[in-house]
Amino acid sequence: MHMKRAVPVVVGAALITLPWWARDMYQLHLAQLIGAYWVLIAGLNLVVGFSGQLSVGHVGLLAIGAYAFAIITGTQGLHPAVGVACAGGIGALCGLLLGLPSLRLPGFYFAMATLAFALIVSEIILAQGALTGGGVGLPVPGFPAPFDTPQGTYWLILIVGGLITWLTWNVARFMWGRGLIAIRDSVVTAEAVGIPVFRAKLTVFVFSGLTAGVAGALFGSIQSYVTPDTFIFELGLFFFVCIVIGGRGSIVGPFIGTAVLTALPELVAPLAKLGNFFYGLLLLVVVLVVPEGIGRLIEVLLERIRPRKIGSTAIEPDLERLAAAIRRGRA
Amino acid sequence: MLIALVSGLAAGALYAAAALVYNVMFSTSKVLSVTTGHTSMLGGVFGAWFLSTWNLPILVALLGSVLIGAVFGFVTDLVAIRRVLSRTDEHLWLLSTLALATMVQQAVALWWGTEPKPFPRLIPQSFSAGVVDQKYWLPVVVALLMALGLDVFYRRTLYGKLFVAMSEDIFAARARGIPTDRIRALSYVLSGAMGGLAGFAAGQLTFAYFALGLTLTLNGFIALAVGGLGSNVGALVGGAALGILSSIATYYVGGEYQQTISVGLLMLVLLLKPEGLFGSRNVRPV
Repeated sequence: MHMKRAVPVVVGAALITLPWWARDMYQLHLAQLIGAYWVLIAGLNLVVGFSGQLSVGHVGLLAIGAYAFAIITGTQGLHPAVGVACAGGIGALCGLLLGLPSLRLPGFYFAMATLAFALIVSEIILAQGALTGGGVGLPVPGFPAPFDTPQGTYWLILIVGGLITWLTWNVARFMWGRGLIAIRDSVVTAEAVGIPVFRAKLTVFVFSGLTAGVAGALFGSIQSYVTPDTFIFELGLFFFVCIVIGGRGSIVGPFIGTAVLTALPELVAPLAKLGNFFYGLLLLVVVLVVPEGIGRLIEVLLERIRPRKIGSTAIEPDLERLAAAIRRGRA
Repeated sequence: MLIALVSGLAAGALYAAAALVYNVMFSTSKVLSVTTGHTSMLGGVFGAWFLSTWNLPILVALLGSVLIGAVFGFVTDLVAIRRVLSRTDEHLWLLSTLALATMVQQAVALWWGTEPKPFPRLIPQSFSAGVVDQKYWLPVVVALLMALGLDVFYRRTLYGKLFVAMSEDIFAARARGIPTDRIRALSYVLSGAMGGLAGFAAGQLTFAYFALGLTLTLNGFIALAVGGLGSNVGALVGGAALGILSSIATYYVGGEYQQTISVGLLMLVLLLKPEGLFGSRNVRPV
């Protein structure tokens, strides 16, 4: 039991103190990027990993969040806190608008609808040049006083990421999470036991839209400039791959997936050249070899190294209690 | 206006061809593969490569493109479909074909470059031919020929009948001694060859461009869903409707909202007639 308590504490402490032990600004930037991606992926994980809806188009929602933040904070000059809130709100609204028709569709139709959504968003961003700067793009302002340094921005992202992880953890552990997993594994069974399938799917989808909007605000602010080319479809595929590789129905797995997949091509130069080819290959290998994801693989390995003790308790009748119960029944 | 209509019809023919490719794969495996558009992309890119870099005769280049498509179809079945279908999780084939499609697209981008490259003329013709330019009528003719050929294939040949049998009931087909794995591989080879042929024929319209695959996967799917899954007539009608609608919209509104309009068409059809114009409503046993 000691190990189980210690690991989150150590990881948490390491994450909080990261700005002091990161070797250079680039690594800190990478950590910020992982954090911003994770804010989106944590929400998307409920949609993809738990309820099994294969959304490949969340990059569209990320773009909407980033542009909303850039326009509200940069062009309109409102406070960044308002900008983040609006980005989240607009993300959730767009999630609702996308989810209402498309969540009724079966698997492949849904994936195609979200893919089309991502393409439509970049089309509209290009077309509405007066608002979004068209192909030239928009500068995105940073955050005010305590968060204006790279370290400060990192901590802000850490706070938001921690909050959203906590929210999704609460959703996943209890009734909702069980319901979503039931929807993923068998819609018919889920309906039969009284889970409101469409409402549950729509609710987590809107929530994922909110986190995608907030992630867009953070992401845009880290990049400090957004163009339509930032939000290519392959980025949406990347989010999706992180979850599938990390393991469906888990929270730790996708987080590790996000961190590793973001950092790996940046730190290993040959992989950066291969880029999305590498992600495709990784996805294919995972789907063919360990469809449950790497998180599940680690669990299996741990079980093999340190098997769970299965207690062998002999079942003996407690004669005294039985006698007492019978006596009480007679009286 | 006329030129907009004709170019829309040509693009629509390419979408219809992609929808036919979907149909052939779907008939034996009940899988809608993300790699559909990428077979045509390979046909176009390799066609341009054979013709302009290697200076091969047109017929040889055509056969080469078709062969590349067929090989890719076979690889799709081998890598992304066979193992996944034997495990019966309904979402996994989407992931595996998506992964394969991404790999092919990126590999072509690394090798061929990310710029669209021109596709040589197939038939000597002046570039000022206008409406009767070969780049417009070639895809239409090929799509029609493919639909006709499929019809003859399904009605007249033994293998065609095996395809139909598998699409009706795969368990019954297996019980009657049909080697379902081999027939499915054959259907993927056939669909890949069709995709390669369509990509070759439409090469002058689309250019040899690595990112064509994903758009074609999406637009072919829209054509398929509008026309009705499993119906070849529906694929032709859906493709033509989609192509003409989006080119008319481009003519009147401008090119910025092309994708939005085609998805709007899809949503409208799914709302009014979820099984598509020519599809059959299937009742799912529970």
